[in-house]
Amino acid sequence: MSFLKSFLLLLCLLTGFSGAVIAQEDLESLRPLVNALAEGKFKETEQQVADLAATGNPAVAPLLEALGNGDLQFRKSDKAVFITRSAGKGYQLIDPLTHEVAGEASRSEVTKIKVNNGLRRSIRAALGSLTLMAKDPDVRKTAAAAIFKAKDPEAIESLDTAIAKESDDDVRLVMEQARAAAVLNSDGGDADRLEAIDVLASMGNRDALSLLTGFAASAEGEQKAAADKAITRINKSLALWGNAQNIWYGVSLGSVLLLAAIGLAITFGVMGVINMAHGEMVMIGAYVTFMVQEMIRSSAPWLFDYSLLIALPLAFVISGGIGMAIERGVIRWLYGRPLETLLATWGISLMLQQAVRSIFGPTNQEVGNPSWMSGAFELGQLTITYNRMWIIVFALLVFAGLMLVLKKTPFGLFTRAVTQNRRMAASMGIRTPWIDALTFGLGSGIAGIAGVALSQIDNVSPNLGQGYIIDSFMVVVFGGVGNLWGTLVGAMTLGVVNKFLEPYAGAVLGKILVLVFIILFIQKRPRGLFALKGRAVEA
Amino acid sequence: MSKKLMTRTAGLALASLMASTMIGGAMAEEDTIKVGILHSLSGTMAISETTLKDAMLMLIEEQNKKGGLLGKKLEAVVVDPASDWPLFAEKARELIEVNKVSAVFGCWTSVSRKSVLPVFEELNSVLFYPVQYEGEESQRNVFYTGAAPNQQAIPAVDYLMSEEGGAVKRWVLAGTDYVYPRTTNKILEAYLKAKGVADEDIMINYTPFGHSDWQTIVSDIKAFGSAGKKTAVVSTINGDANVPFYKELGNAGIKAEDIPVVAFSVGEEELAGLDTAPLVGHLAAWNYFQSADTEVNAEFIDTWHAYTKDDKRVTNDPMEASYIGFNMWLKAVEKAGTTDSDAVIDALVGVSVPNLTGGYSAMMPNHHITKPVLIGEIQEDGQFETVWETSGLVAGDAWSDYLEGSKDLISDWRAPLSCGNFNTATGKCGGSGS
Amino acid sequence: MMTSFLFRTLDARAGIFIGLMLAAIILVPALNLLVPEGSTFHVPTYAVTLMGKYLTYALLALSVDLVWGYCGILSLGHGAFFALGGYAMGMYLMRQIGTRGVYGDPILPDFMVFLNWKELPWYWYGFDMFPFAALIVLLAPGILAFVFGWFAFRSRVTGVYLSIITQALTYALLLAFFRNDMGFGGNNGLTDFKDILGFDIQAGTTRAGLFAASGLALVVCFLICRAVTRSKLGKVLVAVRDAESRTRFLGYRVEHYKLFVWTLSAMMAGIAGALYVPQVGIINPGEFAPANSIEVVIWVAVGGRGTLVGAVLGAILVNFSKTWFTAALPEIWLFALGGLFVVVTLFLPKGLLGLMDKGWSALRRRPAKDTAAHGAEPQPAE
Repeated sequence: MSFLKSFLLLLCLLTGFSGAVIAQEDLESLRPLVNALAEGKFKETEQQVADLAATGNPAVAPLLEALGNGDLQFRKSDKAVFITRSAGKGYQLIDPLTHEVAGEASRSEVTKIKVNNGLRRSIRAALGSLTLMAKDPDVRKTAAAAIFKAKDPEAIESLDTAIAKESDDDVRLVMEQARAAAVLNSDGGDADRLEAIDVLASMGNRDALSLLTGFAASAEGEQKAAADKAITRINKSLALWGNAQNIWYGVSLGSVLLLAAIGLAITFGVMGVINMAHGEMVMIGAYVTFMVQEMIRSSAPWLFDYSLLIALPLAFVISGGIGMAIERGVIRWLYGRPLETLLATWGISLMLQQAVRSIFGPTNQEVGNPSWMSGAFELGQLTITYNRMWIIVFALLVFAGLMLVLKKTPFGLFTRAVTQNRRMAASMGIRTPWIDALTFGLGSGIAGIAGVALSQIDNVSPNLGQGYIIDSFMVVVFGGVGNLWGTLVGAMTLGVVNKFLEPYAGAVLGKILVLVFIILFIQKRPRGLFALKGRAVEA
Repeated sequence: MSKKLMTRTAGLALASLMASTMIGGAMAEEDTIKVGILHSLSGTMAISETTLKDAMLMLIEEQNKKGGLLGKKLEAVVVDPASDWPLFAEKARELIEVNKVSAVFGCWTSVSRKSVLPVFEELNSVLFYPVQYEGEESQRNVFYTGAAPNQQAIPAVDYLMSEEGGAVKRWVLAGTDYVYPRTTNKILEAYLKAKGVADEDIMINYTPFGHSDWQTIVSDIKAFGSAGKKTAVVSTINGDANVPFYKELGNAGIKAEDIPVVAFSVGEEELAGLDTAPLVGHLAAWNYFQSADTEVNAEFIDTWHAYTKDDKRVTNDPMEASYIGFNMWLKAVEKAGTTDSDAVIDALVGVSVPNLTGGYSAMMPNHHITKPVLIGEIQEDGQFETVWETSGLVAGDAWSDYLEGSKDLISDWRAPLSCGNFNTATGKCGGSGS
Repeated sequence: MMTSFLFRTLDARAGIFIGLMLAAIILVPALNLLVPEGSTFHVPTYAVTLMGKYLTYALLALSVDLVWGYCGILSLGHGAFFALGGYAMGMYLMRQIGTRGVYGDPILPDFMVFLNWKELPWYWYGFDMFPFAALIVLLAPGILAFVFGWFAFRSRVTGVYLSIITQALTYALLLAFFRNDMGFGGNNGLTDFKDILGFDIQAGTTRAGLFAASGLALVVCFLICRAVTRSKLGKVLVAVRDAESRTRFLGYRVEHYKLFVWTLSAMMAGIAGALYVPQVGIINPGEFAPANSIEVVIWVAVGGRGTLVGAVLGAILVNFSKTWFTAALPEIWLFALGGLFVVVTLFLPKGLLGLMDKGWSALRRRPAKDTAAHGAEPQPAE
């Protein structure tokens, strides 16, 4: 996956340089430097990387890229260095300079040139200076960001040239920031530095803060005052953003709780079945995702980004089907004895866990994030990760969809009729057993699609469901049994409260406080947040 | 009327009583040597421990192919303590008293080990404990083949402080709230302060078991790391919580080049549940990695794949510790010529067997073993690449020198000392008290 | 007519039960201590400890049956009271270790030494004295139950809401006791006990004694429960269970009745915990786990709800099968256990005791009157 990404990047780089005609002898002059990489420890390699970068030869960039990705290996027999690509059981060898295929090698014939974090840092910095003038604005931006991190004073000159030439505003801004970082790290004059402080202050994020704090510790006079002022400013704005961030985290946690609880809100809330096997339905949904991804990985890797979309209907059908089987096989004998459903579903939950453990093994299974769900973007000073954002969207969509089904479809009407007054509904000609099975299936199916979403942020293991079952019950009860809006508000409230408590009380104490809060809240409103009114209450 | 009811009830009760005594009365047959395997196969710890059960079964099978031990076949007795700590004690008792096993290989969590300790002491049997742990213990009947803190935590911190590791100046110690992280962090805190790290440069954070929402903590780490000094995270986060932690870390864009995370509880097995591409370069400190380039390791991995009939099953450090422990036991039994506990316990000290990283591990008088310490970086394929290792073997230290309560304690189970907590300051066996 | 018949069968049942228990209390330790080890009649110490553990579980189940079977309060948090009793006992046992801990500190338990604590926290004071610890065994769960119940019953939190907040209670305590800062040993809990009341805790005689004590406690608590349920108060409780509003309209202060039986039950659970700890040798926060409390409810259901004897029977039977399954079928025992729960709920709605009664009535060729009808008829969740 990520090999593909780096390969694409490589391709970009290559096309970026294809314009510049590189003379053959230039390349060959690099050869000794490249082959030297086969020798020495990390420290020496670091020096060699610097030497390579110092040549300024654009052909070095893809080479360093490969080194950073761990794709650079040397042949044991003659210590010649190649870029390698997996091919069958061995590797395809590619000449690091000309990029021509140079034969094949088995795994034992080549040795990887090891990289560690320090080396990766130097490669990143070297790549930054080398690709600052690339064609693709994204590459230039990455390059500038790399220089920002490296804050290498020697890059100031090339940055200046690049800034002058830059046409893209976004990229220019990043370059200016990189320049500011480099200037602070150099021994430039007062004016230059003050200007740099200004640039960083207007960045206003943690990276800038980090630079300024480091700088302020050793600065003096006017510069220190300016830096201190900038630091206070950034801290102030970050504190404000901190609140926004807590709300976001809270909503995000709330959406996870909502997803976990919403299926239960149907099986337990609407139907009154104390469904202890709910968590296992979520788990089954996650395992369906895993199986879909496994199949895609082995037979159709290009579909990977759609794996979740494929898994959703499957998870709904499979979990829903198992749910209906449970309803038909066990629960239908227990209507009117709701507490006994607790015992039976507990037994079922144990069996489902063990079944999954026997089939898939007890260890975690790998469920990957599709590319549109990995990474993060910045909104002001808020870092928003894509997977969290999509989960929030997804939770709200599921909720809305469920509301629609229950309020606007005949099936929803029947469900409500059966749960409100079973006998009267039956008298009106509704096939109550069928509706029961479908409703339970719906609840379980929704738990299944929740599992698809949760597989993106949590372990996929037989214990997955256990981790959510208690929280789910808390949410449903807190919101008010039998009321879907209650579940929504309950989940969001608990999520946000939890996230506002966590920074002060810590994760453990925060959770305890939330539980105590629920206990006290139930004293105040014994039927939850949105209590059902009417005669059903005292039934 | 009540008479018949009485006979029925009585019959049932009697039956259950009889059954339980029958279990109690069942005698071991003498033609095999029994080995107990005490790893959870269900419940929260099954995720880690089931692998060790399989590894033990494999080792026993292999040994039987080689002709067994003392001319007898080995027989594994597997029980499931179900991640239920009191049940560990009960099952340990069952293995020793009822099944008459000669040695037990088992436990993972500290609490399970603490739970069975009194049982092994009382019934005088032998336990091999294959997991890295917090130290501060040395018991006559227990042999610790996992790492003590000085075989994992301290070298890892040393590495990060070095030029090569990135010259880290600021530290986040993040862990799950239980005894192993607590103790390790206590030791590390004392160690870091001794090395001149200031109070405000250390952040300690604890989370509950199975914590799954890491947003706040990851953003705290990010904030802590933006103080202009090189920052690293030392993670003692326990098994289950790691996957969501690393997923959050990867998505939040915390790169190993900027803020490396070194973990003591994350091995190949844990990474198997993760897409490791965003995590390349984050570190782990262990005494073994599957990637170790030695012949005996290659052979071990092949046997493992053949045994599990799964080419993708990974090996990990606790498996190596089980392997070492098992071989040490074999050697000691052969040396002693009997499986009798006292003889084996005496014979074990000084036994030296090959480990999987190309050297030899020896059992020390304090019942800990010598090991190399490796620092590995996570790779895209879910394996670790060793980037640093100690020049020689490190002997496990039962009592940390960096804790107030234990700095004067040593352990030596050889005669004449025969003491697990000898106080060098007072010259007495029995801890630091008066 | 119906009720008098009911009590007659209960009487017979109670008689058998108490007889059996007393026999076990005398026989098991005797067979363990007096009969030589090779004999077929010898009961190994292993079995004694195991049965002692079952008895404490039985006592816990009894306490749950009292509130659930007779008062309709489905507690999913009784494990909390059990664990609190256990912790009180554990603290006493910890203090008894004295200088025999690994660090040899005369006052501080080991875990405090290695967490660098300098002083004993105030709430550990007094636990070196057995009477004080015994008092706390009763008071800690009792007071918690009283406060919790006082609020909950006054606010008329009922049915599934009550069940879930009892679960929240035990879950919150679980998290709290996990915290090392609390000073109860965190996840490792309290362990490595040496002696109790001066007797070596590992000695066979002590184990036999603890078994007998557990049996005795079970008998005494059983008699108390029976006295409560057979009194006028017990009838009001049943009325509360069957129709709470109606009982209230009749002029009974429902919450007082509930509070009384709830607190009583919590204290019994505390005693069970206190007897459990020295026999298994460890108490840790795992006992607070909500799953444990749910399991207790299942024991009661398996045996037969609202029968007292059924609770005891269920607890012993389920735990015995657990012991047996985990050794005999370590890989798949959860199927067996899970299957047992499903089968019992589907086919034995009145539990094993209900089955026995049924068989009994069939034997007597009586019209199939539901002898345990009121006991096994569960209430709707709402």
